[in-house]
Amino acid sequence: MLKISQLIIERDGKRLRYDFQLEEGSILAIQGLSGVGKTTLLSAIAGFVEPIEGLISWQGDSLNSLPVEQRPVSYLFQDHNLFEHLSVMENISLGFGGVAPRANLVEAADVLHVADQLEKQPGELSGGQRQRVALIRAMLRPEPLVLLDEPFAELDPKTRELSTQWVRYTAKLLGKTVLMVTHQSEDVDRVADECLVLEC
Amino acid sequence: MRVAGWISLFMIVLITVLAFQGLIGFSESGPDWTLLNDSYFHNILAFSLKQALLSAFLSVVLAWPIARVLYYLPHVPALNSFLSLCLLCFVMPTLVLITGLVVLAGQVEWRLYGLNGILLAHIYLNMPFAIRVFYQQLKGIPDSSWKLSAQLKLNHWQRLRIIEWPSLKSSALMLLGFIFVLCFNSFAIVLALGGGPQSTTLEVAIYQALKYDFNIPEALMLAWVQLLIAGGLFLMVSRLGSANWLSVDTASDEWRPQVKGWRYWLMKSSYYLAWLVLLLPILALFFGLIQGDLSRISLASLIRPTLITMSLGLFSAVIGMALAYAMLNPIRQMNSLGQTRRRVFFEWLATHALVAPAMVVSVGLFIFLLQRIDIDRWGIVFVALLNTSIVVPFAVQKLKPRLYQFDAQYGDLSRSLKLQGWALLKIEWPFIQPVFLSTFALILVLSMGDVAIFSIFGSKEWTTLPWLIYEYAGTYRMAEASFASMLLLALCALILWLFEKAQTPHA
Repeated sequence: MLKISQLIIERDGKRLRYDFQLEEGSILAIQGLSGVGKTTLLSAIAGFVEPIEGLISWQGDSLNSLPVEQRPVSYLFQDHNLFEHLSVMENISLGFGGVAPRANLVEAADVLHVADQLEKQPGELSGGQRQRVALIRAMLRPEPLVLLDEPFAELDPKTRELSTQWVRYTAKLLGKTVLMVTHQSEDVDRVADECLVLEC
Repeated sequence: MRVAGWISLFMIVLITVLAFQGLIGFSESGPDWTLLNDSYFHNILAFSLKQALLSAFLSVVLAWPIARVLYYLPHVPALNSFLSLCLLCFVMPTLVLITGLVVLAGQVEWRLYGLNGILLAHIYLNMPFAIRVFYQQLKGIPDSSWKLSAQLKLNHWQRLRIIEWPSLKSSALMLLGFIFVLCFNSFAIVLALGGGPQSTTLEVAIYQALKYDFNIPEALMLAWVQLLIAGGLFLMVSRLGSANWLSVDTASDEWRPQVKGWRYWLMKSSYYLAWLVLLLPILALFFGLIQGDLSRISLASLIRPTLITMSLGLFSAVIGMALAYAMLNPIRQMNSLGQTRRRVFFEWLATHALVAPAMVVSVGLFIFLLQRIDIDRWGIVFVALLNTSIVVPFAVQKLKPRLYQFDAQYGDLSRSLKLQGWALLKIEWPFIQPVFLSTFALILVLSMGDVAIFSIFGSKEWTTLPWLIYEYAGTYRMAEASFASMLLLALCALILWLFEKAQTPHA
């Protein structure tokens, strides 16, 4: 279980407060107005932002004191998810510790219609293709906790439907606990088990 | 403005053309190509290449770990002072360094002369420059790359391969080429610390051919070889084309990997060791001073040379900046229009003084002018003019990336707003001001250190501070040489510090 207890983070002079918990294997959609602190919450769980108070725990163990590299987290940033000077295949093979599961990566790329893009450089891809490529890596990495920051923002309706289905299917298949920031209600309906609406 | 640019380019090229015309016109037989089969020439060429290659390689390889220390440990004490010291080392008048090294070698009984001494001096001058360039490149790595690498749990080796190396690769190649060219054309250091055909470079051989034998065909042949090798290499370096040269906009760098454990201590120790190495030749000047006869030092005898040095430096810096800015104007237009080949060619022309042997240009112009004007009377004017032509390439190299950046970011906007002339300059100035001021300080200090040109055109009446140091050191008056060196070094440091203070943050 992921527990966020009495968490307080200071951002631009504003205090943001969070308190909730999420069962292992569940998918939580996070919604709210811009600036309310959705990305900040994901950054704090991943270890990029230090809270001034409160506890972030996973399976009963506190994550607060762990550096980014030691947290059980796979994070899809809003942008800048790919190294521009590496090929797409090299990019999605990173973050697996040892040998990347090439067959699984190619299969996922096939499902998401980016299999023919794997040998290209990220600069040759469209915004939607980049997002799907980054999504594949984020979901397949061997981390139990997956944080997705607006993962479907750049996708057209058809690809969006395909990608949302794939994310839910993969999360359930691999037993991932997912926190997903989104502005779209349809994403909540298609992917999430629960929804958390943050307010100022 | 564009016309002024073409005129500036023409003037800079004209100096070199007239110099070669002077030499070719004086010697009817042309270059002596039979030297190509002479073992004397082979030795000189081999040594020139060897020392330049080793100097460039060692400078770059030693600079890299120090630059990493500065980047990964941004809170080490006196980091900004260290960066200022690096700049001071790069522009340090060679005679000041040589005096310091000679005194230091005397203290610890090193054998300074020959390849070892030349390498030591070249590394001392160029490694700090490479440190600054690498450090700026590392600072250009965006936060997002480090965050992503932390998120992906990349290990040290992967970070090095995937993030650091790609950010440094083009700079490392350019630095190797640039430092190679500087060392290949090195004059004062090789003249002072070299000796015999086994440790002579082409530049010094040209000087010897002209000064001792007045053998112009030999000098011309050596000059062409030097121009072809250094010029060709510099053209290749220019084509590598990374815009991030001496200046780069620093990306946001709030988040970077933490260094802990033995790596932290190793890095910190390297930092203090680098401080010590860079300070040693400067501290040695104090030893030179206190061990000599202090009563012989006359402050009054230093005032006039100091004023002459500063005036010459100011002239070269002001005119050099104006020429560089003007000649970059047509080149910027070529860049905006995507005319890569033309741009590279004209960039090369604007910076060709970096590869044209200074000794050949000085002597060629001297011969050209000998029959036309009274050089004894007007010699100092040509010291100023030639010094200006020597510093223009540095100004061009530093201003260029910032101006290209302005064009890329605001070129279209400025054109759509129909900004031209003064109105455009008013918008451009705040953007280029920090780079402009630091470049001005850099070329001012560089031109204040000249010895080579003064050795041809200078006269006793107009003795400069570096020439005075050369005279003192040549007559083993090390206390006076050390004192004059310290004065010149203090002036250089003061200028760099004042201009660094005057800079506002990047626009």
